[in-house]
Amino acid sequence: MDIELKKLDSFRWVIPKTGAMRVPGLIFSNEHLIKDIKMDQSLVQVANVATLPGIVGHSLAMPDIHWGYGFPIGGVAAFSLDDGIVSPGGVGYDINCGCRLMTTMLRADDIVQDMEMLVSALFRNIPVGIGSRGAIRLSDKAQDKVARMGAAWAVQEGYGEPDDLERTEDRGTMESADPSFVSERARKRGSDQLGTLGSGNHFIEIEVVDKIHDTKKATAFGLFKGQLTILVHSGSRGFGHQICDDFLKKMATRNLNGPYRVPDRQLACAPISSELARQYLAAMACAANYAWANRQVLMHWIRKNFLATLAITPRELGMKLLYDVCHNIAKREQHTLEGKSIPVYVHRKGATRALPPHHPLLPQAFRHTGQPVLIPGDMGTFSYILAGAKGAMEQSFGSTCHGAGRVLSRSKAVKLAKDRSILRELRNKGIFVQSRGKKTLKEEMPDAYKDISQVVEVVHEAGLATKVARLRPLGVIKG
Amino acid sequence: MSDFSIIDHTADLGLKVRGETLEKLFENAAGCMIRLAVKIPNSRPTETLEVHVSGSDLEDLLVRWLGEILYYFEGEKKIATKTRITSISPQHLDATLQIIRYDPALHELLSEIKAVTYHQIRVSQKEDRVWKARVIFDL
Repeated sequence: MDIELKKLDSFRWVIPKTGAMRVPGLIFSNEHLIKDIKMDQSLVQVANVATLPGIVGHSLAMPDIHWGYGFPIGGVAAFSLDDGIVSPGGVGYDINCGCRLMTTMLRADDIVQDMEMLVSALFRNIPVGIGSRGAIRLSDKAQDKVARMGAAWAVQEGYGEPDDLERTEDRGTMESADPSFVSERARKRGSDQLGTLGSGNHFIEIEVVDKIHDTKKATAFGLFKGQLTILVHSGSRGFGHQICDDFLKKMATRNLNGPYRVPDRQLACAPISSELARQYLAAMACAANYAWANRQVLMHWIRKNFLATLAITPRELGMKLLYDVCHNIAKREQHTLEGKSIPVYVHRKGATRALPPHHPLLPQAFRHTGQPVLIPGDMGTFSYILAGAKGAMEQSFGSTCHGAGRVLSRSKAVKLAKDRSILRELRNKGIFVQSRGKKTLKEEMPDAYKDISQVVEVVHEAGLATKVARLRPLGVIKG
Repeated sequence: MSDFSIIDHTADLGLKVRGETLEKLFENAAGCMIRLAVKIPNSRPTETLEVHVSGSDLEDLLVRWLGEILYYFEGEKKIATKTRITSISPQHLDATLQIIRYDPALHELLSEIKAVTYHQIRVSQKEDRVWKARVIFDL
């Protein structure tokens, strides 16, 4: 299928409304990135999403867009409460996959000699890798609490401080969670995976603040040049995967017999007003809460390992949560369309919320800066800290990009890396890496991803989020 | 000719599977998925499971069948080393799974398959009567 693409300006392309599309597509990109985007099937997916009932505005794609299943990864779509739908595929299997960044009082230069030991300690003591099982075994009752309370459960159990919740999207708890809609199978898969990192693109990275782009906002975020920070990327593990799977199957069956014909079965959906959508959203919120609890527990263990390895006091370490954002979620939000403020369900699949300064949902600490946005790059280059900007509310339902986005498939990456030692290449760049599987390192090698700096430049120039600081990896723990 | 080939997908991983009969196609698909997920040395199954799967058509049935095997692995640590479809129609199948228990000391995990997706799912019979399917996994 050929997709017509019209360039609007240096950072925006439109897919005009044709055929069954109900709205046009809008892609944030640049001349360089758009070439890769045209190579895979992600533009067809943007057009497919535009055919879904009740979609409003545009079917959106961020500059890190790539071919997903059903919805593209890096896609954003909002649906009207009157005639719109909810789609589990528009959230993805890893519900509330997201990032958490911790700052410290340490200067990276002061602990260079300890980096290898730190990476080893984290790798040894935190369950990582395929099928990693946790040190926490949840009883049915405890799992219900995690599903209802999210990060607040973790803090109540001693994994962190109440202040951490202020610095977590939605305070780490989606109130709409109802564990009675979570299947036995999801419970079983989730019972021993809390406090585990997972595999694939999930990671813990020790990073140095390598460049400050906006001094005022960086200071407000507690960032300084040379500072040691830790970035975590993980999600809701098997608990979330199973919840998505359960509801996708239910909706796929319903779609076949119901009024909606979707261009790809993976776009299976249900009207927002239906009982099935209500049940999915309640179960999805349980998985979102599980993921927030997971990242909260991971942070606690990272702190413990830093203290023990460096033999310093909590005050000397000064580890604080900057922010925790999710990038796979559906949420009811208020947005302005054609001058009218309306409630919509925003689906973000591989996209980050980016609230601008003075947005009512912002905690006091970020009232004047906008919400911190965390954008991890590949493990060999940079990650970025951005701040949500006004343009996101005007153009993208308060959303921005979520990462570098893949350019190579996993098998292509492995083939390309055949005779290379990715471990040694990274070591030569001053990055210590430990990973469970050798194949993971090849699949996740820097060449497999888009240039993060270009992705970030696009959202900065398009006014979705502005650059605050750049981070450079020093230590990487991979599954 | 091999029973399967890998489909290159930017984010994930897909399979093209073939089988002389519909039963064989479904058995091969299950075998390929398990081979992508875990490396198992030759060992005797310790358990047999009977499973019954229903779907709305062959494509849906394939997604649900693979989803069933994936769940036993992910949720119950039971690896279906061999499967036998005892009866199949477009809406239903009965099967027997030969199971070994996952043991981290013996079994090397290769890929974490999060789910079996409906994305571009296809099951068809070609002129030469051979059955073919394509399925994409979320990794």
